[in-house]
Amino acid sequence: MDGASYQRFPKIKIREMKDDYVKFELRETDASMANALRRVMLVEVPTIAIDLVEIEVNSSVLNDEFISHRLGLIPLTSERAMNMRFSRDCDACDGDGQCEFCSVEFHLRAKCMTDQTLDVTSKDLISSDHTVVPVDFSDSAGFDSSEQRGIIIVKLRRGQELRLRAIARKGIGKDHAKWSPAATVTFMYEPEILINEDLMESLTLDEKRSFVESSPTKVFVINPHTHQVTVVDAEAYTYDEEVLKKAESMGKPGLVEICPKEDSFIFTVESTGVIKASQLVLNAIDILKQKLDAVRLSEDTVEADDQFGELGAHMRGG
Amino acid sequence: MNAPDRYERFVVPEGTKKVSYERDTKIINAASFTIEREDHTIGNIVRMQLHRDDNVLFAGYKLPHPLQYKIIVRIHTTSQSSPMQAYNQAINDLDKELDHLRNAFEAEISRHSERFML
Repeated sequence: MDGASYQRFPKIKIREMKDDYVKFELRETDASMANALRRVMLVEVPTIAIDLVEIEVNSSVLNDEFISHRLGLIPLTSERAMNMRFSRDCDACDGDGQCEFCSVEFHLRAKCMTDQTLDVTSKDLISSDHTVVPVDFSDSAGFDSSEQRGIIIVKLRRGQELRLRAIARKGIGKDHAKWSPAATVTFMYEPEILINEDLMESLTLDEKRSFVESSPTKVFVINPHTHQVTVVDAEAYTYDEEVLKKAESMGKPGLVEICPKEDSFIFTVESTGVIKASQLVLNAIDILKQKLDAVRLSEDTVEADDQFGELGAHMRGG
Repeated sequence: MNAPDRYERFVVPEGTKKVSYERDTKIINAASFTIEREDHTIGNIVRMQLHRDDNVLFAGYKLPHPLQYKIIVRIHTTSQSSPMQAYNQAINDLDKELDHLRNAFEAEISRHSERFML
């Protein structure tokens, strides 16, 4: 039954890695794999976000729905999400989410007692689980550390009050964008830029300059001594084809040849802060594996076909 | 008010099979697989992997309608293979590729973080 294997062994090289950003090269695979990873990172890696809000008191200027929507959009640290259950298939509760396996409870109580406006922020949300808390952006941003502010939910004046209970659940970006862990995920083909040296040498220095300047991004440079045109940064090329048009208009088609390497991709992944960007890539790989597992043929389909198979063999004259 | 539930896009309804298989009645070694609640993510990688198989004469997928959350993968193979065999092989190969990718990425993470520890 086993046919030959057509498996590939992709190569990875990380160029830059920060908590919320990774840039890496993916080689020896094709665009379908790169795109599948991108799509999974955007909308299928689970995170945790507030999904249900019960408002006890709300005398603020914003209505209940408005505040609920804002609460939903607050990023919550979601390292736990991969091991949590979706509340719709949680056995421990009826799916209205109050058990530890599928939900996290938050409380918010704020009342303004002074003449000073009170900012209600994500820092006022009290979580029942210390691993699931509003993401803290304070140290990375250039703000004063003394002024550690969360995300503003609403502002209260004297006498106004907000009291609510919120339930955060696991979800995916396909359901609602608030569950998307990715700010941006992009990939580009690595460009290969070849300069026709003979043709390039037939240009005057001024022509070379205008050629180099025709690229909106800095791809080429002229060596100040030898006046030779070289590629400094092939990846700065945005596939805008401006240099090709320029070469054409100078009557030198074929001056440069630019081809995308079809098995080589440069990825940039930015996370919203709910999980590390590197973890996001790993989770995406796991999710894609789970998805593939789910689309395997079930046993009864194979059996049903086996009966057919005999007929088929008969038809083929076997 | 009467909008369908959002989860209908990715939860297979009860009583329906995730993957159903239908042989072509006119061509030997041709079949279509209907995969419920999947989209271009799975469709395209499976199709491209099938193209790598020499015994596959045709492999394609379609998303019949953006509001019908299913894809149809059609496979035609030579008599050396069968659509079902090719399909299983493609999924196994992709699965192993992702295993490899995960290991490669983890190795890169530790290599990269070590370099910055020094």
